[in-house]
Amino acid sequence: MARERRKWIILLSILPLTIYTIIVIIPLLSSFFYSFTNWNGFNPEYKFVGFSNYLKVFQDRYFELAIKNTLIWMVAAFVLPVVTGLAIALVLHERIRFANFYKSLFFLPICLSLAVIGQVWIWIYQPDWGLINTVLRSVGLEQLAIAWLANKNTALYSVIVAWSWQQVGLAMVIFLAGLTSIPEELTEAAQIDGASYWQSLRYVIIPLLSPATTVVIALSIINSLKSFDVVYMMTGGGPFHSSDTLAMFMFNESFKKYFMGYGSAIAVVLFLIAMVIIAFYFRQVRQLEQLYD
Amino acid sequence: MTKSNQIFPSAKDEGIKERISERTVNILIYLTLTILVFIYILPGLGVIMTSVKLDSEIAREGLWTFPKQIHWDNYREIWTEAHVDVYMRNSFLVTIPAVALSITLGVLLGYVFSKLPFRGSEALFVFVLAGLFFPPQIVLIPLFRFYNAIGVYDTLWPMIITHVAFGVSICTLIMRNFFASIPMAIREAAIVDGANEWQVLTRVILPVSLPALAVLATLQFTWIWNDFLYPIIFTQSDDMRTIMVGLITMKGQYSVAYGAQGAMAIVASIPTLMIFVFFQRYFIRGLTLGAVKG
Repeated sequence: MARERRKWIILLSILPLTIYTIIVIIPLLSSFFYSFTNWNGFNPEYKFVGFSNYLKVFQDRYFELAIKNTLIWMVAAFVLPVVTGLAIALVLHERIRFANFYKSLFFLPICLSLAVIGQVWIWIYQPDWGLINTVLRSVGLEQLAIAWLANKNTALYSVIVAWSWQQVGLAMVIFLAGLTSIPEELTEAAQIDGASYWQSLRYVIIPLLSPATTVVIALSIINSLKSFDVVYMMTGGGPFHSSDTLAMFMFNESFKKYFMGYGSAIAVVLFLIAMVIIAFYFRQVRQLEQLYD
Repeated sequence: MTKSNQIFPSAKDEGIKERISERTVNILIYLTLTILVFIYILPGLGVIMTSVKLDSEIAREGLWTFPKQIHWDNYREIWTEAHVDVYMRNSFLVTIPAVALSITLGVLLGYVFSKLPFRGSEALFVFVLAGLFFPPQIVLIPLFRFYNAIGVYDTLWPMIITHVAFGVSICTLIMRNFFASIPMAIREAAIVDGANEWQVLTRVILPVSLPALAVLATLQFTWIWNDFLYPIIFTQSDDMRTIMVGLITMKGQYSVAYGAQGAMAIVASIPTLMIFVFFQRYFIRGLTLGAVKG
């Protein structure tokens, strides 16, 4: 019986585990390997260069900028999609008219590719006839009508707004799922006890929503570290690296400039940052859960 | 009541004042909702309007005006000149096998983790989930080299293989959690009746797992269809482009052909929009279940 069971465990898991290991795990480990070389992507020969790629990473001011931008992205990803998503979910949860229409509308962008979304938002930001500048000019705010994506002070934020436009719906549906799981008796009881809406929100709803909040925040952190598609589509990291995120920077160094060794070093640093943040976050979550239990 | 007043000390508002403030809040809420509705409808409307305008009209009046007359020229043009037929075919040829295979692998592994636990299976499960958390850009360089070495660079295979392998994590997670909700006694009864694990899985467990399979199918389809990272790295010739890459290259090549870009964006979005319309329920469940996927 035990032998039969072992046979089936191996038979059923061998294929998925093999493919996963070959395509995901081994390349992950070989990124570490390439990060100690000067491989250029074409030449079959390469030299070991020790830690020099890593030394270069930490002296590269564009790397520093990419880290800063990724952090800005993380904060913005919390403020825009998470807070807006929560607000919309709270409003739609109160049996509002046409709630399903709003829900579908805000959720729809999730099924669109960031290639499509990026393109539309390029048209919105376009300096001459773009939507934003047309509106600004028509209300007499001529001086505010700038080239949003080509200005190094606004490029990053403009991209983040386009990305958030897509992400709001995701946060919204997760919060809505969380809200429907809160028993109505609890919020009603708070009302009977004379709690104002803000008080029941603060003391009843928000604490009971914490599982959903955990998911949404974890998601926005992970997605911030992965932020690439929309940047690639809209600015490619420019102008002058001003909208570079870590993933975008790594991509440009590896596949535009063909510094594969250097790109691998950036990838390893990105991986380590992701692991530290995720480990730290899940530790916090576990402590919180223990506190509530 | 005294006790509750201690919990919510400032809650003794007068009736009238409360009613007025409630009305203001309601007005504010509907106002904000209306503004949001505009922000969410306008971009889509812009693309649709642009796609039915002639380039000359766009050049004169820009994108954000209503078309004077509806022209289908852009749609004809992308079909005959921009190889949208080839791109769409490639997208389907990548997406459908990748969705089917990744779900199959997830079913197998999910069954082992939920119904055949063994020493160390928890650790192995965490190992499999790791794929959800790191940015895929990290493995691009080694994979690029690997696919070159085995001679499949610039074919559709690298996209299929990579999506399947990265899909193992999310598919295993969702299938394991779903299988865990099916009582162990069902498997044991079938085993006592002389069934082997394969028969239990295919004849007993899978027939009741359709909701989970539907959730995964919608999620994986959307994610793989919309991806353009793997194709821009692993392919280079026009014949191997997927529709999303076609859209991106079009932006570069004919950067002023807005009408054609709009038409292409719409054609490219139709399959996932269909999923959204017909399977929204499963899609939302998938996103809330496997939310870390993004």
